[in-house]
Amino acid sequence: MKFILLAFIFIFSSCKGLNENKYAIAEMDLKISEEWIYAEKLLKLKSNDVELTRPPGFEQLVMELVIPQKGGLTYKTHCVYYLVPYKEKVSNFKIQELKDVDSCPDNSDKGITFFTLNGMSNLKVTFTDFKLTMNFQYNKIKQKIEIPMPNIEAGVAHEKYHALKEKRLMSGLKFLRLDDESFDNSTNRYLGKLSDRFSKGSAIRCHQVDKDCNTVGENRCVECRYGWYEVVDFQCAQGGSKFCGQNHCGEKNEPACPRGMKVVQLEETGICQSDLSPVVNGDKILVCQ
Amino acid sequence: MKNFKRFIIPLLVVAVILGVAGVFIYKYQKNSGSPEQFTQDKAALLRLIQNSSEIHRIWNEGEESREWSLMKSDCLKYLGTSQKFDESLLRCNSILLQCHARFTKKLNYKLMNYEEFDNAPYRYMTKSNSSYGGQHDSGIAITLEDNVTKKHLDVFLADQCQEVYLEQRAYAYGEHSAVKDAEDYRFDNFNRHIYLDTHLVTNGEVNDWIKFGNPDFTRGLTEKKGDDLFLPAVELTYSQIENYCSFKGKQVMLAHFFDAATFLPVDLKDLVPKKNLRSPYYWTKKASEYKSDCSLIYSKDCINKKAYTLNSTDPTWAGIHDSMGGVFEVFRNPIDPESNLKASSFYFDSKSSWHKLGFRAGWDGEGFDLRNFDFRGLNPFVSIEKFEVGFRCMREVLQ
Repeated sequence: MKFILLAFIFIFSSCKGLNENKYAIAEMDLKISEEWIYAEKLLKLKSNDVELTRPPGFEQLVMELVIPQKGGLTYKTHCVYYLVPYKEKVSNFKIQELKDVDSCPDNSDKGITFFTLNGMSNLKVTFTDFKLTMNFQYNKIKQKIEIPMPNIEAGVAHEKYHALKEKRLMSGLKFLRLDDESFDNSTNRYLGKLSDRFSKGSAIRCHQVDKDCNTVGENRCVECRYGWYEVVDFQCAQGGSKFCGQNHCGEKNEPACPRGMKVVQLEETGICQSDLSPVVNGDKILVCQ
Repeated sequence: MKNFKRFIIPLLVVAVILGVAGVFIYKYQKNSGSPEQFTQDKAALLRLIQNSSEIHRIWNEGEESREWSLMKSDCLKYLGTSQKFDESLLRCNSILLQCHARFTKKLNYKLMNYEEFDNAPYRYMTKSNSSYGGQHDSGIAITLEDNVTKKHLDVFLADQCQEVYLEQRAYAYGEHSAVKDAEDYRFDNFNRHIYLDTHLVTNGEVNDWIKFGNPDFTRGLTEKKGDDLFLPAVELTYSQIENYCSFKGKQVMLAHFFDAATFLPVDLKDLVPKKNLRSPYYWTKKASEYKSDCSLIYSKDCINKKAYTLNSTDPTWAGIHDSMGGVFEVFRNPIDPESNLKASSFYFDSKSSWHKLGFRAGWDGEGFDLRNFDFRGLNPFVSIEKFEVGFRCMREVLQ
């Protein structure tokens, strides 16, 4: 009788253990998939496709992900840490969430814990073809989690006679985290108004180039609400400074349109209306007057 | 009694253990979800991702998708279109997705409708009407609902397949001058990434601006239906045209870039030729090879031969349609602002001297009567109540 009872207890506890295993991994898979499919940047990936076995007993940053917040107005950062097991130190997998776009520190004492799991070992993270795969062992059972990341972009490809192609899982497709705020006009942070004009001094400069053809500050032209246009300033091979808004180049008191430098090798070359001439202004920008 | 104790006590113990286990499992599942639930939800997420990739395929393939061939007749009936149109206009076109949502059978998802926009299954999204960060292009946002779990996934599809990249090379503006040693107006676009609309903006596209754009800028405009959906938008004033292109983060086609995309380069391999020789016709390098052909220039002579459609003529070397004939087309001309209109159109017969690249008339951008145009004395020999002026946009893209 005692034997039956013991066997029953053993079977029950084994089932519970297995169930807990399945539960923990299934929860982890869903929880991180629901966030990471929106990731737009994957940075500092440590040892792609290599099992992490060193340094034993120390926590290390495995990767960081930049993910839009709900509504898409701002971004947050997920910092992924892993502690390789060593003697009595139990292995640990941890995701810390930073409320902003920020660089992840080397250890997990910043931000709030989004997910943590003890007992994970033999972790190997692979990012290939815009899919993240995590292979690991949990309670001595091999596990695999796969997460497609279609929002990760590796630039664009320009090809003559073709449309724009984004280097991502599917060019032109992106997953969004929309809510009502995403379409609230009052929260629109894109740069510029439709009425902004260079001639009125109201156009926002989104990219500045100096006389040595270096970029000063950040190029923010991708954030222009109504597009952007380039002006002629220091005749740099990679182009001049840029402004947000409707393009009126060539018109009176507006900047000259770029004419290029390969066929017209003159200084101060730009396109102006035939009754106007290009004149350099105080910012060294060619303006039509 | 001894036998009773021998069996009943262990049975009681087992019953208690099962009871405790039952309560534990019940609580476990109720409060935290079961592994099966997590697995089902993950499967639903993967299903939604798979379905979004299918929609992305349909969006890009347009008329070449098998879905279009299956729903074509239902869709055209629903749209009220009876005239032929260039079906390549269905690529990156919300109309195709509307029909897909309505007529494709046995889908394991559905596209959610936006009540605030007449139950349209999408909304046009640009930086001008959405604060969502990280947008590079304009396009449509759709919401997929998984039939099994009712889970949702919001997807963005970029509106980028009706543009073409302009090769970086030396170009020239305006007609070729026959005067010996006359200086050409040359320019180049090296280190610039310029994309041109391949076709004139359609009424269907303007409908999206009216529906999803700032109403302050679309006042007075009404949405078009039926056959008009795939015809060029020809009733916008110049200021509305500028605002339409700005809504999409673009600008009105510049005259010298239109010339760049239409004059056939004499030597495609020579990116910086000593001279930019150019013929007045986009299909040939020789000015003497003019042909009165409706697939090259849709002139007045063609009206009785075949109905006018958008993209009625062959593309230029750079890939843009309707560079000659059809409706008028307005540009922004930063060199000669008064020469802002492609007058080569179906208002002039095939022998008209307007059918030449780089030769332009003028439009004041405000009205559509004869008095709003300057035909340099070469007026059309017809009485037109309202001229039709089309347009297209272009944009420059960062590295």
